[in-house]
Amino acid sequence: MSTADTGTRTRRTPGLVPVTETLSTVERRPEEPSDRPAPLAPQAGRRAGAFWRLLVSELSLTFHRPRNLAMLAALATVPVIMGVSLRLFAGDDQVGGMIAAVAGNSLMLTFLALSALVLLMMPIAVSVVAGDALAGEAGGGTLRYLLAAPAGRTRLLAVKYLNAVVYAYAVTAVVALSALVTGLVLFPAGDVVLLSGTTVTMTDGLLRIALTVGYVGFALSAVAAVALAISAFTEVPIGAIAGTVVLIIACQVLRAIPALEAIAPYLLPTRFTGFDAVLRSPIDTGALTEGLLTFGAYIVMSLSIAWAHFTGKDVTS
Amino acid sequence: MRRGTYVRWGVPIAAAAVIGAAIGAGPVIAAVSGDPVLPERSAQQLLADAAAAAEKSEGMPPMSGTVQQTASLGLPALPDTGDGSPLSLLSGSHEVKLWYGDEDKMRLALPTQFNETNVIVNGDQVWYWDSDSNTATRVKLQGEHPREGLPTAAPTVMTPDQAAQRLLEQVDESTTISVSNTAEVAGRPAYQLTLTPKDPASLVQEVRLAIDGEHYVPLRVQVFAKGSAEPAFQVGFTQLTFTPPAEENFAFTPPAGAKVEEKTFGPSDARQEHAEEARRTAGDLKVRGEGWTAVAVLPADAAMPQGDTDGAPGAPGAPGGEGADARALFDNVLKTATPVSGTWGSGKMIRTKLVTVLLTDDGRLLVGAVTPEEIMKAAGVR
Repeated sequence: MSTADTGTRTRRTPGLVPVTETLSTVERRPEEPSDRPAPLAPQAGRRAGAFWRLLVSELSLTFHRPRNLAMLAALATVPVIMGVSLRLFAGDDQVGGMIAAVAGNSLMLTFLALSALVLLMMPIAVSVVAGDALAGEAGGGTLRYLLAAPAGRTRLLAVKYLNAVVYAYAVTAVVALSALVTGLVLFPAGDVVLLSGTTVTMTDGLLRIALTVGYVGFALSAVAAVALAISAFTEVPIGAIAGTVVLIIACQVLRAIPALEAIAPYLLPTRFTGFDAVLRSPIDTGALTEGLLTFGAYIVMSLSIAWAHFTGKDVTS
Repeated sequence: MRRGTYVRWGVPIAAAAVIGAAIGAGPVIAAVSGDPVLPERSAQQLLADAAAAAEKSEGMPPMSGTVQQTASLGLPALPDTGDGSPLSLLSGSHEVKLWYGDEDKMRLALPTQFNETNVIVNGDQVWYWDSDSNTATRVKLQGEHPREGLPTAAPTVMTPDQAAQRLLEQVDESTTISVSNTAEVAGRPAYQLTLTPKDPASLVQEVRLAIDGEHYVPLRVQVFAKGSAEPAFQVGFTQLTFTPPAEENFAFTPPAGAKVEEKTFGPSDARQEHAEEARRTAGDLKVRGEGWTAVAVLPADAAMPQGDTDGAPGAPGAPGGEGADARALFDNVLKTATPVSGTWGSGKMIRTKLVTVLLTDDGRLLVGAVTPEEIMKAAGVR
């Protein structure tokens, strides 16, 4: 246990860390010195190396945490359930729109699954990771050890955010892949009929799925930024997570009020399903760009607030 | 607090300022970069030029763009009529994509969440595609009014061109007309015709019509109600390029698995019935006053929405939907009516920013873009 303190760049005191984390951290520790880049230009090189090491260690923590993996698994099952129930019950001719499109082509299930999950479930998963990022360390008492290394708070913030972004894209990719595989198994593959009534090849359809994954991942990155900002202000991780989720639900409610139509374009959830633009012919790049700009604005705003607060915060735990 | 704190918090504040500026950038950039310069024209010159340009190029030049329609008439909250319904155009804001090749090649798309409604005209082929019902409708036109019966998702005043034409017909001595050469619509310099009613009884403050400085295509129509700075009704391009759209926009083949229907519009039996009904209603319709302050008087039972009494066929695939929508709308609006009375009798009045409606107890319905006093005056005339 005490060996942790003697390590040059140890980032945790195992005594203060949950057992699961200690295991993975300890396992990784012997490797770390060896994969440090050979003597590069002294300052910049070492700093960059330290940054990537910190990020890799952070990612390995995130993707070894049973909680985070369980969320990924839960999200992966939803498209399967959707696909199976559509296959079983969508036999009658009454259905229209997306449901009928799914029954007609395997790729459409991906769009349907993403559009259903992006509204609440995927943002919740991402805000669990991002909301826990700083508040979790502060609440667990490990934040000051992280800051004890001369790594700098800005760098720590950047690592925590990138970690959340990677998880956001992982969430999106898992849902998309699960839906794609389910769709290919249950429904006929082939040319894809777009919303505009135009038919495109399956390769084109897969390309459009890739675009969608990029868009949705960026949307969830915006959620991650908001969660990280709230996380910087509290030492209770559940507070940051719940705060983000409540914020998203509140936005959904505001969107539903007709009198507030004017502010709807500026709310984050309004843009979540904006990826239906890739299903039009020609692709509605205007709508996509608007959505991406909105997400970018949220990311810049949230991260700058998080940075301004976190770099000046008195860390007491 | 420490000095560093202020410096640090300057970053998010600066970020907020930049984002805020970016959101409001349109008008700011337009103001900073100076007014677009167009040679000065009088209203008459402008209209003559526009007419000449229209004659020379035989219609509008090829273009593609986005048309946005916004209505804030001050109506009470409408029941959810669905995006495809023409009644939904009475409130909120709607976008239509337009690709225009020439007179025989046009595509209108009404994109909504995970749905799209298209009208595609290519030569003698007219298709109506509704992704929601997965139905492609081949529209056949008969008779001498080929365009009139189109079941467009966009009702009558959807393109700026049509709206402008309707507007120009109303211009006469009752109106003050002025022209400015400094307007900008969808990033294009434009002339702006401003029509101001002279009659103080009108609820219309002014109507602004923006015409492209190069191609003389109407770009935007705005109707301002008295006492409000925002237009009560607006149709205009938000994005526009004058390049011929790609051919594949006009090529439509019903996708495999879609329902394909054929509908014929023209002097068919059903249409004749409609027309007769409309004629009956029109026979009962009387107009009091003229110009901006005209008030339409018609028997209330004829005006009660039972269906498409105006003779416009509803969207195919949703038969009867329009009538039910209109009914719900009417009931909803009637709830907010205020009872009024006078020497002419008594009734219920509905006031919006632009239109006043009076339903008298003796069964007459008066509609006009006039003040309540004026409409009650009209009610007194038998």
